Amino acid sequence: MLQVLIQGFLLSGLYALIAVGFTLIFSVGRVLNLAYGAYLMLGGYAYFYSVQTLGMPKLPGFLFATGMGALAGVLMYRLLVKRLKGDQVAVEISTLILAVVIQAGVVLVFNDSSKILHPIVGGVWRIGSTTITNNILVAMVASWIILGGLLLFVKKTHVGRAMQAVSMDAKGARISGINTDRVNMMTWAISGALGSVAGVFFASYTQLNPSMWVAPLIIAVAVVIVGGIGSIVGTLIVAHIIGFMEIITTTFIAAELRGVFTMLLIIGVLVIRPQGLFGRGDL
Amino acid sequence: MALLEITDLHARYGMAKSLHGISLSVEEGSIVGIIGPNGAGKSTLMDSIMGLVENTGSIKVAGQETTRLDTSDIVRLGVGYAPERAHLFPYMSVRENLLVGAFTARETIEEKLEQVHDLFPVLKDRWAQETATQSGGERQMVSLGRALMSDPKILLVDEPTIGLAPKICDGIARALKRLNQEMGLTVVIAEQNVNFALSLAQEIHVLETGSLRVSGTPEQLRSDPELTKAYFGH
Ligand SMILES: Nc1ncnc2c1ncn2[C@@H]1O[C@H](COP(=O)(O)OP(=O)(O)OP(=O)(O)O)[C@@H](O)[C@H]1O
Ligand SMILES: [Mg+2]
Repeated sequence: MLQVLIQGFLLSGLYALIAVGFTLIFSVGRVLNLAYGAYLMLGGYAYFYSVQTLGMPKLPGFLFATGMGALAGVLMYRLLVKRLKGDQVAVEISTLILAVVIQAGVVLVFNDSSKILHPIVGGVWRIGSTTITNNILVAMVASWIILGGLLLFVKKTHVGRAMQAVSMDAKGARISGINTDRVNMMTWAISGALGSVAGVFFASYTQLNPSMWVAPLIIAVAVVIVGGIGSIVGTLIVAHIIGFMEIITTTFIAAELRGVFTMLLIIGVLVIRPQGLFGRGDL
Repeated sequence: MALLEITDLHARYGMAKSLHGISLSVEEGSIVGIIGPNGAGKSTLMDSIMGLVENTGSIKVAGQETTRLDTSDIVRLGVGYAPERAHLFPYMSVRENLLVGAFTARETIEEKLEQVHDLFPVLKDRWAQETATQSGGERQMVSLGRALMSDPKILLVDEPTIGLAPKICDGIARALKRLNQEMGLTVVIAEQNVNFALSLAQEIHVLETGSLRVSGTPEQLRSDPELTKAYFGH
């Protein structure tokens, strides 16, 4: 029981971190960024390359990965999303295509074998009969800190409030003197950075391979659909619902089914409550 | 010099043209009314001034051409806007809405908050309420307040009385008059409620299907029998 509780919190923390960058773009830019999973992959590989191939220290490697994610976000906004202005379907299709292209790029550069990322933080913890790696513990703590920081930023700063404003009423934001283009670009940068940070943790929890973008994308989509257009707090709650559901499934039913219930939950919520459990449109 | 100077303004939504060559100017310190029936182009005119609609021609604010500027820069130049349907941030509190309005004027926040609370005391008591749950009158006050927070020189107000009870309309008229007289704010009001516009404005422009039909003082317009029949019925 204790084991389920601990594992549940750890996994959920990771999931919240995975989902929050995706939610952000969805609520501020109204874009379902299906290339979001590719940010995680980019982050994971950038960290792998800088730390394990080039031998850089971990912190600069981490920052490098974060920067790559932010850059990817900005480029996607400028070159793709902004140009397809407003055409939801075109944006979704092209972001999905982009994810596949990035996958091909990764195969080209790193080949398609799986790679093991060394834990970011080594060592284990023992609580009773449960062992947890420091690595995932750090991922959870980082997730909480990042989400808390993001919440403070959004609620308490002018720029953060501007992001909220754009998410609630773009015209209202513009006539308040907010440059919505700049806010969007910044949101894409933050989203990309969050995605790649999540990617480093995710890859160190699982492994690096060129199709690793799919699973986190599904998690992120699930959180947005189940939670509704995402508030940060809503993201946190739903990440815990999904995380605990997976751990409970794995522990008591069968490990093979862990993703299945997440998908069933998506469909169930879509049918019963399309606006999501907490949906209302703000950050 | 006119604070706002519009010359040969054409505006369109995609293929549909909504304004056909409007020219008008607004003197500093005045209250100007724009009246006209549904679909005449009152809101389009205001949106054009804010750079929200595709347009050609010239719009100058305090002598500066704004046609190429982003809306945010037009706000910085000193144009405040309380648009049709308010466009508030529904899940933010009254106070947060006002703070967003101060995005370009962060040094004057305290002073402006005080001014808004002085004009609309209700907002002071309800500062923590989400605007999604507010009454129409309160929302209109938040909308005006948010526009004031940017410390504007000129305030554009689109149909501030729509759907509001006479008593609330009077309150809003009083607030606009005070802003003009005590604080020297220049005000442009678009209205279908002709009497509201006539009671406040020194100059009225009548807009019909995208063109100015006539301009003049309220007295001049009242003395025109055709206009009286069309707009001032009683
Ligand atoms: N977003 C839009 N897309 C296409 N056409 C529009 C749009 N907004 C306004 N129009 C058209 O432009 C014309 C002028 O509309 P506008 O809203 O400016 O009129 P108005 O004078 O403000 O009317 P009302 O008193 O009803 O608010 C109308 O023919 C309207 O149908
Ligand atoms: Mg209108």
